[in-house]
Amino acid sequence: MQGIIRTIRDGSGFDILLLLLALVYLVAFSAFPIIYNIIMSLQTVDMFTIASFDRPFVGLKNYYDILSQPLASTIFWNTVKFVVLSIVFQLSIGFGLALFFQQDFPGATWLRGLFLAGWIMPALVVGAIWKWLLAGDFGVINYILMSSGVTDERIFWLSDPDVALYAVIIANVWLGIPFNMLLLSVGLAGIPRDVYEAAELDGAGAFERFRSITLPLMRAQLGAVISLGVIFTLQQFDLIAALTQGGPANSSNVAQYWSWQLSFQTYEISLGSAVSVMMILFVIVVAAVYVRSTHHEHSY
Amino acid sequence: MLQIEIDNLNKHYGGFHALKNIDIAIRNGSFVALVGPSGCGKSTLLRTLAGLEKTSSGDIRIAGTSVIAKPPRERDVAMVFQSYALYPHMDVEHNMNYSMRLKRRPRPEIAARTRAAAETLGLGGLLDRLPKALSGGQRQRVAMGRAIVRNPKVFLFDEPLSNLDAALRVHMRSEIRKLHERLEATSVYVTHDQVEAMTMADHIVVMRLGVVEQQGSPLDLYDKPANKFVAGFIGSPAMNFIPVVVGPDGQSLVIEQDLAQPLVLNRKLNPGSRLWAGLRPEHLSFAPVKGDLALNADVESVESTGSMTFVTAGVASQQLVVAHSGRPGVERGAVIRLHISLENIHLFDRETELAVSG
Repeated sequence: MQGIIRTIRDGSGFDILLLLLALVYLVAFSAFPIIYNIIMSLQTVDMFTIASFDRPFVGLKNYYDILSQPLASTIFWNTVKFVVLSIVFQLSIGFGLALFFQQDFPGATWLRGLFLAGWIMPALVVGAIWKWLLAGDFGVINYILMSSGVTDERIFWLSDPDVALYAVIIANVWLGIPFNMLLLSVGLAGIPRDVYEAAELDGAGAFERFRSITLPLMRAQLGAVISLGVIFTLQQFDLIAALTQGGPANSSNVAQYWSWQLSFQTYEISLGSAVSVMMILFVIVVAAVYVRSTHHEHSY
Repeated sequence: MLQIEIDNLNKHYGGFHALKNIDIAIRNGSFVALVGPSGCGKSTLLRTLAGLEKTSSGDIRIAGTSVIAKPPRERDVAMVFQSYALYPHMDVEHNMNYSMRLKRRPRPEIAARTRAAAETLGLGGLLDRLPKALSGGQRQRVAMGRAIVRNPKVFLFDEPLSNLDAALRVHMRSEIRKLHERLEATSVYVTHDQVEAMTMADHIVVMRLGVVEQQGSPLDLYDKPANKFVAGFIGSPAMNFIPVVVGPDGQSLVIEQDLAQPLVLNRKLNPGSRLWAGLRPEHLSFAPVKGDLALNADVESVESTGSMTFVTAGVASQQLVVAHSGRPGVERGAVIRLHISLENIHLFDRETELAVSG
């Protein structure tokens, strides 16, 4: 007993203890749920069999069933639009703001800090506020658009099937900008000033410096922000729940929300599992890209 | 012909007056060193020349044209940074030919000039390496290569050797000097190391607190320092300063707190004036020399580098450093006679610190 205490206190025992804690946590809260989810996607799971582990094995039938549903392609394209548009706008606006706040002007740091406010708000609250802003009859956004003459008619952001998805995307872009901006600001601050000065002396104008110095040196950060953005966007649930619940008529429904609906609203648990397993496979690919992109970090 | 003319240049950072009425004229093809302790404004002056800092008033002309309103890229100057500032994502070749690619020079020309510069600097085998795979000395060469492919009107160096180890620094010193002679370009070189300035430059500008204290050829500054600061800054080990008072005859200097040992000079000075007597370590010796004057001194420490020996000797309450070529055979604690060659004494006013002749 004395010996064990001594290795834990002074020897390699402490390292092993820390390792075990992390390992137990990972197995219990990450590995087990993922594996359990994969197993469920290969079984028939419904309200009656949910309590027992001994359920009929059906192979890839759940995947076949879910992909042959007519809704699947709508959901797929909605998800693609949701992810791509969210990332494109979060990234470009976030990068633009990061570059803007990188300029030396009074209050730059202070103003940048304000952007954190959006980030620390729960997505459900953000969703509730955007629901008011986007409301068809009394919403501020319609008021601004109509009084400034951009449109003559009210846009029913949340109940018009043609625009509901875009309304959710707008709110999600707003929610994601601070994260993008902050991460990219850190990257920009890491590029030494004299590298820009050298480029200036070599004859590079502002645009050329951005293209040939900033962009390539930000490659690692951009890769990280894009991959994390894809992952966060695929996790975005609260905003959809608060704004449209995937409606009207699934026009703003996306894979992660659909998976939840299947599992917890209609209790087609094995179908919901199959959707989430397909999403996990995609996220693994994205995570691999993320890990690779951190290899491009430059030392100065 | 003058390549760079700086006229009455001033630079303010808010309330801080960083450069005060700077006037410097630099001949075409000369190698100018800006020296001074840190914070003296030498780097600021270099950056103003490059156009990286704005000026408050005054004018800068390069090859006769005022560049004060021009951005860096229109000034035709190249700069080697202290940190080298290499582009970390470009290999050596692309680091060097970035400027030519920006100007869309024809490909064969870019390749030929890059190769020529790389060969000059001994970088031939490293063209496809990234900066992170290079040693400090190699990075330094790439930074120089980036400057020389441009064939600019003026080369600016901002303490380019301060990140190298001592041996490489001495080697690169002569390399840069040789390169300068071969390219026949005008170079402005910032350093805080007066040895670097003395050995490399043909014109030295000594700065302190934003003011040019003195400028001239290295040996001029060494032999005729205009004030106590320049006298103390140029030369290693530094000049010794002893507080003295001129005796009633206007010729003898009495060392303060040591009335027994007057130094008699054949100069006409104001009786009673308080001065600093400046003695270079190499003008003090242990053996008599013609026309010298001897003082009693206690040997306080002896440091030998092998070829040179530096002896710290106490005279009254003052400490004097003596530089002796070879080994003087004196020991700590001994009392010796210290011989001062009188014609090499520099005198500075105690109030204004300006050189006093007479």
